[in-house]
Amino acid sequence: MDEHSYRKPRPHLPTKEDIAQYEDVWERFPRAPQEKKLWTPAFTTGVAIIAVGILLLLIRFIFGLGSITNLSSGFPWGLWIAFDVVVGIALASGGFVTAALVYIFNLGKYSPLVRPALVTALLGYAMAAFGVFIDVGRWWQLYNPVLPWHWQGSSALFEVALCVMSYLLVLIIEFAPTVIDKLSTNKDSKLKRFAIRIRPILEKVMILFIILGVVISTMHQSSLGSIMLLMSHRLHALWFTPWLPLLFLMSAIAVGMHVVIVESMLSAKTFGRRIEMPLLSGLAKRSIAFLGLYVIIKLMDLIWADEFTMLFTSWWGLLWWVEVLLFGMVPVFLLSFKAFRRDPRWLFWISWMVIGGLILNRFNVYLFAVQAYDGWTYFPTMWEVIVSASIVAFIFVGYKYLSNKFPVLHKEEGLAKA
Amino acid sequence: MAMDRRTFLRVSAGAAGGCLLCADATLASPGKKQQDFGSNVAMLNDLTRCVGCRACQSACKSYYDLDQYGPMEGLDTPGGLSEANHCVIKEYKEGDEQSYIKRQCMHCNHPSCVSACPVAALEKQDNGVVTYDPDACIGCRYCMVACPFNVPRFEWNSAAPKIQKCTFCEERIAAGEDPVCEDACPTDAITFGTRDELLKEAHRRIAENPDRYENEVYGETNAGGTSVIYLAGVSFDKLGLRDFGEEPLPELAEKVQHGIFKFFVAPVALFGLLGLTRASNMRCDPDDEDCIEE
Repeated sequence: MDEHSYRKPRPHLPTKEDIAQYEDVWERFPRAPQEKKLWTPAFTTGVAIIAVGILLLLIRFIFGLGSITNLSSGFPWGLWIAFDVVVGIALASGGFVTAALVYIFNLGKYSPLVRPALVTALLGYAMAAFGVFIDVGRWWQLYNPVLPWHWQGSSALFEVALCVMSYLLVLIIEFAPTVIDKLSTNKDSKLKRFAIRIRPILEKVMILFIILGVVISTMHQSSLGSIMLLMSHRLHALWFTPWLPLLFLMSAIAVGMHVVIVESMLSAKTFGRRIEMPLLSGLAKRSIAFLGLYVIIKLMDLIWADEFTMLFTSWWGLLWWVEVLLFGMVPVFLLSFKAFRRDPRWLFWISWMVIGGLILNRFNVYLFAVQAYDGWTYFPTMWEVIVSASIVAFIFVGYKYLSNKFPVLHKEEGLAKA
Repeated sequence: MAMDRRTFLRVSAGAAGGCLLCADATLASPGKKQQDFGSNVAMLNDLTRCVGCRACQSACKSYYDLDQYGPMEGLDTPGGLSEANHCVIKEYKEGDEQSYIKRQCMHCNHPSCVSACPVAALEKQDNGVVTYDPDACIGCRYCMVACPFNVPRFEWNSAAPKIQKCTFCEERIAAGEDPVCEDACPTDAITFGTRDELLKEAHRRIAENPDRYENEVYGETNAGGTSVIYLAGVSFDKLGLRDFGEEPLPELAEKVQHGIFKFFVAPVALFGLLGLTRASNMRCDPDDEDCIEE
């Protein structure tokens, strides 16, 4: 390929001579660890919540799921599946969305957002997998979907299980360069030399894993919708549609961008950095198409199925409107104005609105609009809520720890001027 | 992240080929599908003959040693199906109308639980019985969510929980014996046989005594048909046996799932498409602000 057809990629990698030449290796990287105070009150609180969660889980593993949850035969899936797993996976889609923007659609300006989004995705998927682990009854057999003699191609859940496991591997591989960058700043050692040697090899094959990650993501994000296609008899008609897989995929992509926006703003606050505003408003602009199309498909589907009038005749219709106003209509309207997109305060709250709407959507499809039999009801116990909270806390605590210790965030001078 | 295009395409093609091969071998044939259900083992519950003695229920409990745990409400009326009650008699009473209803696994012709199970722990056997294998089960409870009859139960208070439901006494059937509930029934309300035989018998009973029965055999066509079929004197809806239409319930989900992943074409095509997008985007104008490689 012509050497001059595109700008030279990243700064070249440090050889042994390079390292010897430069005392501060970070000067040669666009990213650096933050190295701020770790144990702030917020961080300590997070760790405390995690500790309580672990204690509760001990009880769950000794005495069974019934001991700390309100799950029942009428509601075999509750808060943990709906929130920790289904919402968690949707919110963690920022990793594959930013990777696709930068490495497939070549929008290099977004590259400062890639690694933080990757860290969020890694933590999000790790926690979603953990959420499955604590929720399934026979957790010691959780590897069964990998074994070919157990494969069951009709089950959307089988596909989700395989995809989440393999995507977690892909995320770890995508995260490896960050660890290697960190290792290459260590004092000279075998590990360091290994890291420096393996870096170029990893770079050569990385694009394959990035594309693989995108493919796997589209597969399981949509299949999380397919799971509910078996429940035509239980899921309310306003939410049941053969288009569920497409709707789940599109909403995951849109919300991924807004999670990146919120994550970037929060981390700017945590580490006292400038908000990467031009990038974030660009991202917000790109999310409009997905949000808008999502709302249009949702409406068209209801009109097509002749269920449009249901939107005005029952409380379910009201719930639907709240969901679609939050995840769709209002954000699309607001984001179409430059002034709102470019104002950090507005953008922050619009993004939260999108995230809130997505959470409501997943809860509707997996819990609220699922009709129970024989008068079963479900409301999570305090313990279920605390365990879910400690999973969220782990993501925040983990994000702070990783970006503090590893070169995740771009150096500020390298960022585009606002 | 430089990689020349030819290398990239070659690697992609290889990966695609590999995926196709394994997909063809496994995902394309997700278990055998029965077409003819007539010779399946079946059970006819004639609710007009049931006197509510619950002999079937206690026979089932003691045969499978199920009373070691699990909630009981009162002496002999458990709240419903549970991990300790695979077979339950409930009473329906409103005004002059009265009937008992026997709740158990319906052993559907097209079971949603089997379609849902990610690890094939639930399987429809050649004789029509839906079996459960705890060594495969991961305890995800998708079967419970999917079952239209709300049958599978989970051992909520066990550290090593299993899914529990009526097994159709598969070992007894294999040994040429009848299910325990059928043996226990003193009024002949339960009949065991093949599905064809019992459907014929059910229609014969309706024809002989049209006043006694609702003019429908529940399970003949409902949700694609079931192996456990019912006759009743009051409408099935009141007994909690709902009308699901004649389409097998897993059909839509399986069509979508197999449509998207037929021979793995879509994911492989997407992989190739993204690769090509990447390759073509690398050649844009370097002065374009939006086109900077990292």
